[in-house]
Amino acid sequence: MSTNGDDSMEVVPVRHIGRWFGGAVMLVLLAMFIHTLLSKPDGKWRFSWNVVGQYFFSTELLHGLLVTIELTVISMTIGIVLGVIIAILRLSPSRLLSTPAWTYTWFFRGTPVYVQLLFWFNIAALYQHFSIGVPFWSHAFLTINSNSIFTPFTAAFVAFGLNEAAYMSEIARAGLIAVDEGQIEAATSLGMTRGQSLRLVILPQAMRVVIPPTGNEVISMLKTTSLAAAISVQELLGAAVNIYSVTYEVMGMLITASLWYLTVTTVLSIGQFYLERHFAKGALRTPPPTPIQRIRSDLRGIAEKFPSSHRRTNEMSR
Amino acid sequence: MTEVMVEARGVRKSYGSIEVLKGVDLTVARGEVTCLIGPSGSGKSTLLRCINHLEKHDAGVLRVDGQLVGYEARDGKLYERSDKQICAERANIGMVFQRFNLFAHLNVLDNITIGQVKVRGVDLQVARTKARELLTRVGLENKEENYPSQLSGGQQQRVAIARALAMEPKLMLFDEPTSALDPELVGEVLDVMKDLAKSGMTMIVVTHEMNFAREVANTVYFLDGGVIEESGDPRQVLTSPTTERLKSFLSKVL
Repeated sequence: MSTNGDDSMEVVPVRHIGRWFGGAVMLVLLAMFIHTLLSKPDGKWRFSWNVVGQYFFSTELLHGLLVTIELTVISMTIGIVLGVIIAILRLSPSRLLSTPAWTYTWFFRGTPVYVQLLFWFNIAALYQHFSIGVPFWSHAFLTINSNSIFTPFTAAFVAFGLNEAAYMSEIARAGLIAVDEGQIEAATSLGMTRGQSLRLVILPQAMRVVIPPTGNEVISMLKTTSLAAAISVQELLGAAVNIYSVTYEVMGMLITASLWYLTVTTVLSIGQFYLERHFAKGALRTPPPTPIQRIRSDLRGIAEKFPSSHRRTNEMSR
Repeated sequence: MTEVMVEARGVRKSYGSIEVLKGVDLTVARGEVTCLIGPSGSGKSTLLRCINHLEKHDAGVLRVDGQLVGYEARDGKLYERSDKQICAERANIGMVFQRFNLFAHLNVLDNITIGQVKVRGVDLQVARTKARELLTRVGLENKEENYPSQLSGGQQQRVAIARALAMEPKLMLFDEPTSALDPELVGEVLDVMKDLAKSGMTMIVVTHEMNFAREVANTVYFLDGGVIEESGDPRQVLTSPTTERLKSFLSKVL
């Protein structure tokens, strides 16, 4: 039927010689990498796998991991809540609200997070006390010493949280802008107030746009918390440093800590996938398959290519 | 109870230096269907959006059901209404958009119940029963679990009409409800609108469907350049137009 052949002719796929060559190079590099990972010069693991095995589940390191996770969760909560508020203020028609929001982002995004961390850690140099009272009135209801509020841990999550809010506000703003204006008009025409349409219509739809970059921020935050080791917070890296300052197993401990960071990152990525899938509701006609569904459909595909004898006899009997 | 549902006198509206409405007069009686026709950019949609205060008119008087839109007249002064009062007014006016604007993250049933529950404070079960009735009325009783993206344009628009009706509006505004539809889907939406007209709903319809206007409308207004050029009974206006502008407009759309 076709113009350049008939149905009986065999189809010969084009050969991708470049791909074959590149693949071969990759395989050699991979073999070299595995070899060096598992090499044992002078009878000792080059990559100190024995140290990894010894300390991976050690109490001190696990405690550090817990502090890292706590710092990440608290800082991201502050960052997301404050970020959304700043984004909403930024989009306000009132200049008195949008300008401070812009200034906040400008300031906290424009200075290094490490500097901010040291700043909050040393805040007592600026304010010896914090008190609650009426503005510009010397009498206070409650006064607390700065150093008792700003422990290294508090300084760390305040610094990371406030810094994160600047980035999250931009992400949230992108999400809010991405929602079609018609959605707001429809909500308004039903008699919803600005707050209702924001809460019931805009934010849920903004989530779809906001989640991937927010996932990025969570993973980034997990690693940024390692800076807190510099102000003597005993998080994951701090705990690893503590151990190697005694045992001198520097590389071994750094690898151990890195493996923990990778583990948590992997768990977070899986969580992100399911969260994205949840908020894709309505935006996609069919949600993307979960990894398990994908494996199942792959297996089904293979099974159809090689029909079992059982099924074949069935078809023949028909 | 006035017999006049919508009254506009000398309504003006500008966007920056461009004046879109240049003093529009219009009267819509209760239970009547009014069609606004005219070339794009003539101000039809803007007029419609002023009526439910999605846009704020700059000058003139605009009343819905005897009440000034957006203002309250007291002691010889016009007091601007609070956002809350304006929202309450809007809830009584249904609006159907050219691009449907169904809430993309909610299924059909939730699209129809959200306004009842969150704005009117209706019990969810009561709202659902009502939503199902309305879905039957627009011929979509088996689609309640679907998301808008899974429906055709005609189906989406019918859901949008049901969503607006769920608020029990006293007035329905249609902003080119069939302009974004494939030609074969226009009929199903117009049929729902005809039924609605028969049931006695007061409707203002911005449309390019001249047959619908001729068949259903009590009054037709022809807008051009921000003013009403011609108005009256559709059979009169559409078959024997008196102004040159309407003649040339009709020759292009018919």
